[in-house]
Amino acid sequence: MEANTLNELKKFALDIRIETLNMISKHGFGHMGGSLSVADAIAVLYGNQMKYDPQNPKWDGRDYLVLSKGHCGPALYSALAIKGFFPREELLTINKLGTRLPSHVDKNLTPGIDMTAGSLGQGVSCALGMALGLKLQNKPNMVYAIIGDGEAQEGQVWETMLIAPNKGVKNFIVMLDNNKQQLDEFTNHISSLGDVRQKAEDFGWYALTVNGHDPNAIDEAIEKCKAADKPGFINMETVKGKGWQAKECVLNNHALRGPAFAGVDEVIENFRKELAAMQ
Amino acid sequence: MKYEMFDAKKIIGEVTLQEADANPNIVVVSTDSAPRTGMTGFITKYPNRYYELGIMEQGAVGVSSGLATAGKVPIFCAPAPFVTARPFEMFKIDIGYMQQNVKAIGRNCGFNYSDLGPTHYGLEDMALARLIPGVTVLAPIDASQLRGAMRAMLRHQGPVYLRIGTAPIPKIFEEEEFTIGKGQIVREGKDVAIITTGEIAVNVFEAAETLAAQGINAMVVAMPTVLPLDEAIIKKAAEATGRIVVVEEHYEVGGLGTAVCETCAKLAPVPVKRLGVPHVYLSAGPYIDLVKYCKLDPAGIVETVKEFTTQEK
Repeated sequence: MEANTLNELKKFALDIRIETLNMISKHGFGHMGGSLSVADAIAVLYGNQMKYDPQNPKWDGRDYLVLSKGHCGPALYSALAIKGFFPREELLTINKLGTRLPSHVDKNLTPGIDMTAGSLGQGVSCALGMALGLKLQNKPNMVYAIIGDGEAQEGQVWETMLIAPNKGVKNFIVMLDNNKQQLDEFTNHISSLGDVRQKAEDFGWYALTVNGHDPNAIDEAIEKCKAADKPGFINMETVKGKGWQAKECVLNNHALRGPAFAGVDEVIENFRKELAAMQ
Repeated sequence: MKYEMFDAKKIIGEVTLQEADANPNIVVVSTDSAPRTGMTGFITKYPNRYYELGIMEQGAVGVSSGLATAGKVPIFCAPAPFVTARPFEMFKIDIGYMQQNVKAIGRNCGFNYSDLGPTHYGLEDMALARLIPGVTVLAPIDASQLRGAMRAMLRHQGPVYLRIGTAPIPKIFEEEEFTIGKGQIVREGKDVAIITTGEIAVNVFEAAETLAAQGINAMVVAMPTVLPLDEAIIKKAAEATGRIVVVEEHYEVGGLGTAVCETCAKLAPVPVKRLGVPHVYLSAGPYIDLVKYCKLDPAGIVETVKEFTTQEK
């Protein structure tokens, strides 16, 4: 990846983190931890990989993203606003009465969202259906699904992991935001995923593990998956709450409410300074 | 036998194939279940439009939803409980909430799977499906209506749940034209209205003749669409007769009987007797024995209607 592209992706990811923290802290509630852990992946997808048209979100030639860990809507909304799907100011309407931006992503409401998610475990199946439908029409569109490691405890995820390679889909990449935490606990303390890359490979996927906060590594992994003759699985090793150091890898960083946002203004300000320095 | 009998699954397969010839977007999703829903002809002719996913009903609902996003018209067919009860939340969100153009067929509804017992009965499928806003729920009464309902379903934009049994289905009507959301008065009468849905209706028609011979003139209303409900025809039946009996091969709780009670409470309060499956766990057993046990056979319907019509209002 060219240095300039990498710089742009890092700036994009920072911008996503700024907008995410700004919108959820001003609202007083929001899923901070997972939104920050997935920010870099979303930056790569919308900054260098996916085809889309913000002026025509339903454009036939678009690639599709199913954010199956739908509670991380704030990160995706930030990316969509930054790319012009809707005004940035609208981000501050999150979860307000009549909003187009509910906590969890909603196909019916938000320009650029192709699948409603929120009840965990369902997105990979929906994404497979999209990939199969596009394949049947010999269309080149890619379909991406992002799932969480806690979410991967849902059985429906594994139903689809088992069948997808049997259906010959190559236009399909599942990205695991493996941030090692879920709502109650560290994931390993509840139900370890073990060597999840190996598991995916055993299920028949082309599977890779990457640093989920390295845009270059994520981008390269996507390219490799696209070149493979199987569906792709990218285990992204991430940190829940990435970027807000006081909240990284600590319990109760899944969603913050009210006083738990103490210190967020300083974090946002530091992100803004960092972003300005990269211009 | 009074009526010519047909194989419901064969009708489903035939209509699917006819419609699929005209609409290349029609695809079939199976969870080890489509060949036994009459889809063999489709599978043979359009193997690339057929998705055998294996036994994963929850994921199959999601895959169907995704196929709809990609512009397809998926038909997901399996035994009724595995289309509705098992993947209920997926049905609610991935099909209902998003108003995806998915067609779900639940076969072996009621206790049609009598040899397999309670795990395979579909006695709450209509209750579950009609809880989801925007889902059309169809339960055709005879072979002609089944053909018409299949065509209407596949040409309708939006989610549909269609339930059928597996016992041979009689051809009662000549008319195959099917309008979603419309009930029909099959028999005029003034003493009581019997409203019915699904293939058990044939027993109602026979019972109505017996009742007439005994001096009770029953209006018979066929309701092959359970959602959206034809409230106008229920109001009309209530006002014309003053009493309603609802007959269905479904739990008395949550199905057409409940829907009729809700409508009567709103538009035309009259006494309503629900004659369906008692809200208990039924035994396995021969289908005909289960029908009799639940008083859903003609004699049971006659007995129930007579008892109800002689009660003080």
